[in-house]
Amino acid sequence: MSALQTFMLVVDHDKEEAKRIAEGIAHDIETRKTTLIDTVQSLGEYINDEDPILRGKAISYLTAIIQALSPKYLSRQQIQVLTTFFCDRIEDGGAVDGLQALQGLDRFNKFLATQVAQALFSNFQDLQSRSQTQRFHVYQLLNDLMSNHRGAMRDMGDISLLGVVDIMTGEKDPRNLMIVFSILKVIMIEWDISNHVETLFDSVYNYFPITFRPPPNDPYGITAQDLKGRLQECISSTRHFAPHAIPALLDKLDSTSPNVKKDALSTLIACIHSYDPNTVSKFSITVWEVLKFEILNAQEEFLSETSLEALQAIAQRLSEGVTEVSQELPLAKYLQPITKECNEQLQEPQNKQAKPAQSILSRVSAASPVSFVLVVQTVVPPIFTLYQEADGIVKQRALLETLNVLFEAAITVFGQWTTRGGEAAIENPLLEFKDQFSDLFGQALMGAAKEEVSFRVTALKGFLHLSTLRDFFQENEIGLFVQYLDEILIKEESVGRDDLKKEAIAALAEVSKHKPRLIVDITFPAFVATLPEEDEGSDARYMPTLETLAQISVERDIFETLFRRLFSKLSVLLQKEQPGSVAYPRAILVTLLYVMQQRNMEQDQSVDLYFDKVVVGLCRDVAASATGKAKNRILKDPTVLDTLGRLCNLLVRSASTQKQEQVAENVYSLFSSAEDFIPIPFSQTTNADQERTIIISTYLLAGVSKDCSNKIPHTNPDMSRLLLDLVHRSVSNTDPATHQAYLRHLALLVNKFLSKQDVTIAEKLFDSLLQSQDTESQSLDPATIRTIFWLSKALILRLAPSTTHILTSLLALLSSPDQQTSATAAQGFSIILGEDDILSATNGATIRLLCRQRLFTTVTPLISSRIREVNIAGTDDSAAAKKSPDHIKPAHLTALAGILSTIPTALVMPELPTLLPLLLQSLDLQTADSVAVRIATLDTLAVIIRDNGVAVIDQCGHVQSLVTRLLKTTSTSTGPGAVNSPRLRADALKCLKLLAMHQVPGAVANTRAPPGISPLLPVKAQVLRSLRAVLDDPKRDVRKAAVDARAAWLRGVDDAPEEDE
Amino acid sequence: MAEMQNSNPTILNSADLPTRLRPTATRKSEYGGIFTSALPLAPVDFESAPSSDSEDDNLLEEPIDEQEIYDLISSISDPEHPISLGELAVVSLPDIEIKPTLPDVPDSPLQTVTVLITPTITHCSLATVIGLGVRVRLEQSLPSRFRMDVRIKEGTHSTGDEVNKQLADKERVAAALENGALMGVIAKMMETCH
Repeated sequence: MSALQTFMLVVDHDKEEAKRIAEGIAHDIETRKTTLIDTVQSLGEYINDEDPILRGKAISYLTAIIQALSPKYLSRQQIQVLTTFFCDRIEDGGAVDGLQALQGLDRFNKFLATQVAQALFSNFQDLQSRSQTQRFHVYQLLNDLMSNHRGAMRDMGDISLLGVVDIMTGEKDPRNLMIVFSILKVIMIEWDISNHVETLFDSVYNYFPITFRPPPNDPYGITAQDLKGRLQECISSTRHFAPHAIPALLDKLDSTSPNVKKDALSTLIACIHSYDPNTVSKFSITVWEVLKFEILNAQEEFLSETSLEALQAIAQRLSEGVTEVSQELPLAKYLQPITKECNEQLQEPQNKQAKPAQSILSRVSAASPVSFVLVVQTVVPPIFTLYQEADGIVKQRALLETLNVLFEAAITVFGQWTTRGGEAAIENPLLEFKDQFSDLFGQALMGAAKEEVSFRVTALKGFLHLSTLRDFFQENEIGLFVQYLDEILIKEESVGRDDLKKEAIAALAEVSKHKPRLIVDITFPAFVATLPEEDEGSDARYMPTLETLAQISVERDIFETLFRRLFSKLSVLLQKEQPGSVAYPRAILVTLLYVMQQRNMEQDQSVDLYFDKVVVGLCRDVAASATGKAKNRILKDPTVLDTLGRLCNLLVRSASTQKQEQVAENVYSLFSSAEDFIPIPFSQTTNADQERTIIISTYLLAGVSKDCSNKIPHTNPDMSRLLLDLVHRSVSNTDPATHQAYLRHLALLVNKFLSKQDVTIAEKLFDSLLQSQDTESQSLDPATIRTIFWLSKALILRLAPSTTHILTSLLALLSSPDQQTSATAAQGFSIILGEDDILSATNGATIRLLCRQRLFTTVTPLISSRIREVNIAGTDDSAAAKKSPDHIKPAHLTALAGILSTIPTALVMPELPTLLPLLLQSLDLQTADSVAVRIATLDTLAVIIRDNGVAVIDQCGHVQSLVTRLLKTTSTSTGPGAVNSPRLRADALKCLKLLAMHQVPGAVANTRAPPGISPLLPVKAQVLRSLRAVLDDPKRDVRKAAVDARAAWLRGVDDAPEEDE
Repeated sequence: MAEMQNSNPTILNSADLPTRLRPTATRKSEYGGIFTSALPLAPVDFESAPSSDSEDDNLLEEPIDEQEIYDLISSISDPEHPISLGELAVVSLPDIEIKPTLPDVPDSPLQTVTVLITPTITHCSLATVIGLGVRVRLEQSLPSRFRMDVRIKEGTHSTGDEVNKQLADKERVAAALENGALMGVIAKMMETCH
């Protein structure tokens, strides 16, 4: 059998084999074992066969050989002969592919390209009756000709233009259309189409709008958006289409389908961007006339938004190259009817239609400086008149709002003081009205009745826009505005929700970015003057002033001023014999802390100054104060020390390594040189005041980098003595703040600074603390338990080797027969993973990623099985001897709630079947001391429901039992001793509402309703009936939650799944 | 879509609508304002059980008042505009009244809520629908001891008496609520309730 015959036999079912055969022959030709002519001649008997399939296979044989030949092998003449051969038989299968291979060769020339195109156009008039694949190959060949031999194709002129249009007319397959559109786009842009504009336009516009929806599992992955994009590129490709395209697209806006309108609008925008300004100008007013209705009578937000975009695009195009304003400009002609219409709508600016008119003005005026000038010239003068004649403040406010919209546009066009570059060449037309604006807005802001809050807020916003607008107001005019704001904040009484004051603060903060000097020169003196020397009372009148100062002092220069002023206030206070309440110095420290947190202190050049004053200076004062050398008790107060500590912590973190080392060395001595200040560790004689300095030491140590651990005192050769000393102090100290600080200090050392090989030191401490248990009663005192838990926290966060041992030991405490031991330990579990300001990632604590998971997966099964044991023992009467004390189950549930509150739900979900029964049992607790546990449980449930929907609960079969317990928790009339606090009732209602809103997992608003019946349906009647009673709850927040939950169930829980479309 | 009857009504600024002023967060922490973020956590520890629910607070009763009724219905949307009844001034706080249903029986818990509706124009054919919407919202949201009396404010509607008769007639209200299309409209109006 010849190679040809073998090829023809296998080609249908074994492509690889066929290819191999062709490659063999190609190799023979290249090595001259046979010739191309022989090969062609061998086709003889088949290529004239009556069966088109046989003919096609024979041609494919030749094609396959050509494809396998090296690209340089064929001579020009051979290519020519083959091309003619294929063109003659172009309708036979494989010929098109053969031509495709040939046209890619270097020696294929322009003449041949024309010949191939001709053959395609004359032989494929009936292309649409052929299969999708065949058509696809033809289009691919055409596409390759277009990209490789564009000159030849273009020279064919109308022949290629009409040829392409003819063969593609009627094409429906999306994959083919993608190619067709890109071929046509080239013709539209590069050919002379003047004789066939309409034909060409119709050939693509017929496809508008695209309604294609890809089938599920579409292998080609073509989306409707892909097609829309290509079609849009065609329609917008040439200005010659404008007379056809724009009216046709505007017609489509009559459609009832928002999607069609959306496509028409986005294509229109593409046309506006692509056609030349003259063409755009011709249609600009027509477009406005139509789009006006879309905006003024907006049906859908996005349609009016897109229409506005189109109007703005026109104004931008018409502004191109325009440098002088004149009424003769096409832009002016376009804007005339727009501003006229808007002016009419703005006659009654408080009505609904005024809003869209404002949006129109906002968009077109922001298009370009010239556009802005033209709009302002026609719109602003009538607003002044209307304002003077306005019969009420509502109307006046609406007019100010309109001006504000224009001011915002001015900022877009002309920039703010801080905007760099891009100065507009045209003068800001608002300058003409500058004094009028200043008077009008000043009068509105300061002259209106105090209770007209929203009016004054509007005026304030306008004034602010003008103050930040580049090159508009003079310094003194902005200064006037700043004075107004100061007056509002300092002199005026609060009104309602204090919206005006909030806006005034925000405005000062905004001005501070542009004109910091004005704030330093005007606002600071005014505000600082209102701060008292000292404060005794409890009304804290200085607080609003400090809050305002804090919010306007984020800019660097201003902050330095703030720091100096407040620090000197503080220094004066520290020197007073009678400094008044400690709340005032503390508030000063909080203010500094707040602002420093808002700023990036590491970048601040003055950080060394702050470090010296606060960390070194004030810490010394603390040491002095502890030894009784201070004039007052300010620096002995634990709350002041806590705030100062946080401030130091932040500054230490921002300080250089060298300074951090100093801090590490001085962490206990607090930079003090005084002889009678005895640093805490190992000192026998310390009193309560001295011990309290551990608060500052802890914050300092937390800020120090891990690398400084060898600089910490008492850590050589290892930390064991220091840790032991701290443990002793932790279990024996009674002052709450000091005790708290000892615990954290201990945890910090163990977690952050203890080296890996020394971890056993801490683990031994843990074991010895546990062994201090009273052997008979198995009880531990609360201070010891706390120490145990903080030590555990430090070890578990770094996933010390003994983590599992630690966790099981902690769980064992829960089963202690001593009720108090069990209850205290239960509360401890929330500490282990709880957020903490000392042991935080910011402070560089060692927090391993997997520690949460490890804790959860270790502890939950143990709690679960322990509770099951207790339950079984409880029901089994005969085993009464084994019955555990009553406190054990609540203790375990409390521990679980504590853990859950610190774990992300993603970790919880896999354990849900185990967990859910436990959560339900937590809800069964009734007493007042279980309120915290139940609130935590409801929080967890709320997150589970919100993230995963009802389905997960349904799968565990707990919908009914959950709903019943939630309803019981919403009730005020519970049994004796049972307590449902208002918060608890409201949280339970929130869970019920979430159930109704999340019947589908991850439900988005428009996803389909679940098939079949909602799992909530069986309980719907019960829920609605019970909630009716809750509507009469004595607390307003609970009633509100009940109303929302009930509405969600009425609306969302339905027997028939709703059809979306 | 049918032609709108009143395409350009006056709109109140939502900031100007009556709201309940909450007592400023005095019980949250000593720093109610911006500084709460500076001192974020009361340190998590054993003693710090959430004590915000103080006993006194829990026992303090907050009866249903006019503002609460207003809050229930002012966020209903107008069927014509996607704007709330509050912003359109269709419902307003002074036009809501709560009175004992049986003033002669001092111990009776029964209360009557009267809501007067002001249509945006006097010939608004949707006044009945708005009235029904308000009624349905109240029936779903108030305890059963409340009686509803929803009426068109006198002199604000050309066929006010006719509409009032319809809204007061229990049978007719019940019949209207059986009407699927009408309930669809009302459900849509209530979607914005919050």
